[in-house]
Amino acid sequence: MKTLLKPSDIANASECLCHIESGELSPLPSPYEDFNQTTLLPLKPEKTKNIESSLDDTVAIGLPRPAGIEEEEALVAQFLSGLKRLFEKKNNWTFLQPLMLSMEHCARCHTCSDACPVYEMSGRKEIYRPIFRSEVLRRIYRKYLKPGGKITARLTGDIDLNWTTIARLAELSYRCTLCRRCATVCPIGVDNGLINHEIRKLFSQEMGIAPKELHEKGTVQHLRVGSTTGMKPPAARDSMEFIQEEMEEITGYKVDIPWDVKGADILLIHNAGEILSWPENVGAFAIIFQVAGISWTLSSEEVGYDGVNYGLWYDDVQLARVAIRHAEIARRLRVKKIVVGECGHAHKALTVIADRLLSGSLNIPRESAMVTLENIVMSGKLKFDPGKNNFPVTLHDPCNVVRAMGIVEPQRRILRKIAPQFREMTPHGVENYCCGGGSGFAIMSGYNFAEWRNLVSSRKKFLQILEAFRDEPREVPKYVCAPCSNCKGAIRDIIDYYHAGERSNLYYGGLVELVVNALDGMKKPIVRFGDKPSWG
Amino acid sequence: MAYFIFTYFCVAVFAVAAGCRLYRHLTLPLHVRWEIYPVRHETNPRNVYGGSYMENMDWWNRPYETSRLNELKYMAPEILLLKGLRKANKRLWYVSFPFHLGLYLMTVTFILMLLNAGFTLWGFPSFAAGGAFRPWMDYLIAFSGWTGMIAGTVGSLGLLYRRLTDPDLKSYSTFADYANLGAILLFFLIAILAVLPGDPFLDGAKAYVLDLLTAGETGRAYAPGQTVSGALTIVLASLLVAYIPLTHMSHMFMKYFLYHSVKWDDEPSRPGTRIESETMQNMQYKPTWQAKHIGADGQKSWRDIASADPKETK
Repeated sequence: MKTLLKPSDIANASECLCHIESGELSPLPSPYEDFNQTTLLPLKPEKTKNIESSLDDTVAIGLPRPAGIEEEEALVAQFLSGLKRLFEKKNNWTFLQPLMLSMEHCARCHTCSDACPVYEMSGRKEIYRPIFRSEVLRRIYRKYLKPGGKITARLTGDIDLNWTTIARLAELSYRCTLCRRCATVCPIGVDNGLINHEIRKLFSQEMGIAPKELHEKGTVQHLRVGSTTGMKPPAARDSMEFIQEEMEEITGYKVDIPWDVKGADILLIHNAGEILSWPENVGAFAIIFQVAGISWTLSSEEVGYDGVNYGLWYDDVQLARVAIRHAEIARRLRVKKIVVGECGHAHKALTVIADRLLSGSLNIPRESAMVTLENIVMSGKLKFDPGKNNFPVTLHDPCNVVRAMGIVEPQRRILRKIAPQFREMTPHGVENYCCGGGSGFAIMSGYNFAEWRNLVSSRKKFLQILEAFRDEPREVPKYVCAPCSNCKGAIRDIIDYYHAGERSNLYYGGLVELVVNALDGMKKPIVRFGDKPSWG
Repeated sequence: MAYFIFTYFCVAVFAVAAGCRLYRHLTLPLHVRWEIYPVRHETNPRNVYGGSYMENMDWWNRPYETSRLNELKYMAPEILLLKGLRKANKRLWYVSFPFHLGLYLMTVTFILMLLNAGFTLWGFPSFAAGGAFRPWMDYLIAFSGWTGMIAGTVGSLGLLYRRLTDPDLKSYSTFADYANLGAILLFFLIAILAVLPGDPFLDGAKAYVLDLLTAGETGRAYAPGQTVSGALTIVLASLLVAYIPLTHMSHMFMKYFLYHSVKWDDEPSRPGTRIESETMQNMQYKPTWQAKHIGADGQKSWRDIASADPKETK
């Protein structure tokens, strides 16, 4: 019988708490069996000698090792003061009640485990079990902050708090994609994803610890420069001019992208990553809105042309700062509503979470682009030839749009109208699996984290995609529709990593590209399968 | 008399502990929305697939509507049959369902006994000896009590066995988990032992409940405290009543908040509403987070901090 790690083992110093051996990951079907023995290559010692890397085979944060015992003790004390603040109204009113409820009522029945794709795909590695990190936090809280905790710990679960515990817990909080699938199956309603979110917050808001992709290059750069991509307003406008030209060249349709139109009906906010990595998505939105005669605008103000809000994943203050900037820009433009483009976490951050951060004139109505697009597509203003999309299409449900917001059917109704070979993944809708790139993973690639994502956290999605197209011949091009930038990034990476373009003829893209691809009046297709146009 | 006082005391502990928990949660600040779909009070047809009102174009111009019927349709089988657990973890459901059924039925039995005692004290002729409804009440109490005791014994034994033998459950189980289950199992076993020898209609328990309402003034000749197993049943049942709200087992009533205040809390903020007002109050809190990029000093409010860009990176 295998020896299972216990939550208290996190405190025991060792070189590596959890290692995935070759062949332990969930198997992939043909023609991907050659990946079944693949496992993470160990990081080179010179890369990890100064950072904490004893959790597993990868590193997300890269915490510097403390110089000595005194520094370790100071960090432990800092951690405890942050933990205390998590349970104070003035510091954590944002999530205090959900946190307390989830901390106090878990029955440790493990029903959540089978819902977690990371735990399942890793070969059921104990540290990835949804309650592992929750139980670590719960035990620390009870033992070190509750009166009499050091005595009752023997009865309710003991744990040692030292630098190893803290460093591993910080890393471990970045092995969960916050997809919250575990929370949907918990019979009591406990949310391990939320506890993980709170652990990240503690580290960021008290200790200044977060992956640089989310913090320095993420929210800080967003607020200071205007975009997490580093793109300043002039560069954004230049890129858009380029996209206008590209769209005309690709589709034969001349599009004008409006900027800073005061009083427009809609302020459209894209994930700026689309502008750089998937310009056709931005161009497709412009074509649809223009053809439909919508009154809309983009903002060229700093932050206004980048709808992302990485604060959602690790820091409430940064989240509030970005959300307020978005709302202020919309207010200045006097638009009737903000429409959030194909970016899942931007949907949730600005529409759902910010709902109780924004008040008064900042509470500008906010809508999902899925809903706006459905209304346009179904209005009859646009004419379609669905035959142009006559290739197999499946839909990925971004967790933040579907499970966190309940936007389930609009995108499906669009696809049923314009994509004759649309088929669902299993499961789908609110029971979907995360792309593996959720909670920032799609943009985190330091050390070997991207490889961990491709091998472990995105593996379930890859299996789902393959299953959705199982009956299709290899040579038929297949389209994974992912209406979310981060999801698209993660799916792009798994297609590349597993050579699924060559082996399964898999392609990916957004929803608007399919809409424009089926639109009457386009001289050329916007969707291409490698060098081949999808029609014509 | 000592038994009554002990039971009264335990009921008081339950009331105070449960009251404290409820009060604490009722007075917590409004938190940001963290709902998760399906939200079961959503109206049809979105309720079927887990959709939300945000699927509507310009949803803010429509009234916020919920369906209590849809919520009840979900909650009834969830609470009574543990439907969610059956779907997600059937192996555990086989032991968890009888365990919960046992506890439910013991509660029902106690309520029936209270009713029975009330009718007796108020002198309802139909419930007096020889009255038309008396046998029905006796049969109902016996059925509920026996089914509850048997189901509870099977369930708690099964749960204990699973915790002791399933390596996954075992590695997260603590002394308190075993003690909780052990105490509940012991209660069910002792209760069976108390009634098995010659009290199939649970007359002893009925007499004790009647005496509870009158502080022993009814002076019944037969009371369960006269036997060791009867006395132990009273003590264990009273202790369990006091103990449950002090543990994670308080989910029996705190589940309301887990669902209604978090998972299903999708009410949007609209101008002039309670939610907007509480949002504005929350933004007046003065945080003390220590990371430099937060810029908190205990004097600046959330509003001040969130309206300013970070001055420091870390």
